[in-house]
Amino acid sequence: MEVSTIITMVIVLGIVWGGLILLLLRAINYEKHKSQDGEN
Amino acid sequence: MKQQEFFSSRWALIIATVGIAVGTGNIWRFSRIVAQNGGGSFLIPWVIFLLIWSVPLIIAEFGIGKSARLGPVGAITKTAGSKFAWMGAFVVFVSTAIMFYYSVVTGWCLRYFIASVSGDLLKVDDHLTYWNNFASSYEPLLFHFIAISFVAFVILRGVKKGIEKATKILVPSLLIILIILFFRAITLPDAIEGIKYFFTPDWNVVLDSKVWLNALTQNAWDTGAGWGLILTYAIYMRKKEDVPLNAVLIGFGNNTISIIAGITIFSTVFALSSVDAMNQVTQSGPANTGLTFIYLPILFNKISGSEAVNMFFASIFFLALFFAAVTSLMSMVELSTRTLIDFGLNRKRAIGIITITGFLLGIPSALDITFLANQDWVWGVGLILSGAFIAFAIRRYGIDKFRTEVINGLGTDIKIGKWYNYIIGILIPIQVVVLVSWWLISSVSWDPEWWNPFHAENAGTVIFQWTIVLTILIVFNKYIADKTLNTDSVE
Repeated sequence: MEVSTIITMVIVLGIVWGGLILLLLRAINYEKHKSQDGEN
Repeated sequence: MKQQEFFSSRWALIIATVGIAVGTGNIWRFSRIVAQNGGGSFLIPWVIFLLIWSVPLIIAEFGIGKSARLGPVGAITKTAGSKFAWMGAFVVFVSTAIMFYYSVVTGWCLRYFIASVSGDLLKVDDHLTYWNNFASSYEPLLFHFIAISFVAFVILRGVKKGIEKATKILVPSLLIILIILFFRAITLPDAIEGIKYFFTPDWNVVLDSKVWLNALTQNAWDTGAGWGLILTYAIYMRKKEDVPLNAVLIGFGNNTISIIAGITIFSTVFALSSVDAMNQVTQSGPANTGLTFIYLPILFNKISGSEAVNMFFASIFFLALFFAAVTSLMSMVELSTRTLIDFGLNRKRAIGIITITGFLLGIPSALDITFLANQDWVWGVGLILSGAFIAFAIRRYGIDKFRTEVINGLGTDIKIGKWYNYIIGILIPIQVVVLVSWWLISSVSWDPEWWNPFHAENAGTVIFQWTIVLTILIVFNKYIADKTLNTDSVE
């Protein structure tokens, strides 16, 4: 596999998939806190 | 009117909104556009536009819908002022015009799912003739009717019992199917060649303006940013619901699904195609149907030696397409319905009118694929204008005020910084101006008779149809504004 292919893969998947996982974890965390505080 | 219906939780809202964003465009349009624009070289601008076009506009739609609690006409009028009700009406018109033919496309997916389950599709020798026979028959009309009636039935039950319940089943099912197809595709021999093509940049086209234009339009298309659909679902957000985190999640979630679909299709095509794989991916066919309805069915026959296994994969692929289409269609019908509710009609009557009108005005697209391609072209480009109108509404309201009071207001989990002001105030208008100017200039070379309004896909037909619609809406602006703002909606 060419270096440029690997770099593109890392950038695209890192931003999109990595970003999604990070955001999902944050949302789950906020929801957990909200339900503990009885806000939901 | 006191708001009566809300999505029951954050996850219900996210699932429903992902249902809007994930449509057939993520599955068939995305792969074709990637192939036509140099594989990996397309993906870089596509990710950039996710960040500077789609995400800011999704945040804007969530904010406007949540604060105004009205459909796009009323919400934009409330945000930008009553002189600009026509802008909201244009947003509604564009999404409604897309709904007319999208229902036909949803019907195609259902028809192909039935043909796969019955085994008929895998017995076909010539898929182009099979498609042409289907497209020129009255069957698309029947399936268009079934698609829009099914969606009307769901919407009639309301937000919680209808949209929320349906999307809670359809969206997770769609994701499961896509993941099954993804793993099957990447484990095919030579699938790696497809993945390589998908991610390898072609440096000759990286700075080509056409690639960047396609990256922006594809992003606007597949995230649903600027359509007014997310704005409509945001009406039903709970008061203490977060705006920015949910919005960013939907943008990223949608693009994640596009990548999964892209890898699946490229792996399958490269692994199973005995001829030039790339030609097959880039060939559009009538109304861009080539890859999905003509070429992929051929490949499903080659997945394994077992007819039952091939039938299973073909069936779940078309089922996924149908689910993706139907959840997006649902939001389009809800947008039009909500607009009529804001005009004073009750939900039942509004749905009745929208379903009958949607069915009747979808007939030309069901019977004539050139007409469908024309509408897809005219109103697909119209989405860029819709996005610009939404950004303009926030400018009129005051971007900083909107950011601090609405986006970062009650219930927010994360705060959006000042960068948002620059994107909405400067970057989005620049993108619109550059894009529309570039498109107008280059469209002259696409069609020597670029001015002719009766050609299917040129500048003339877009300018002609936009002018008619915008003129009517501007003339009736005062009526539209008064009717929306002074009517007590009855849910």
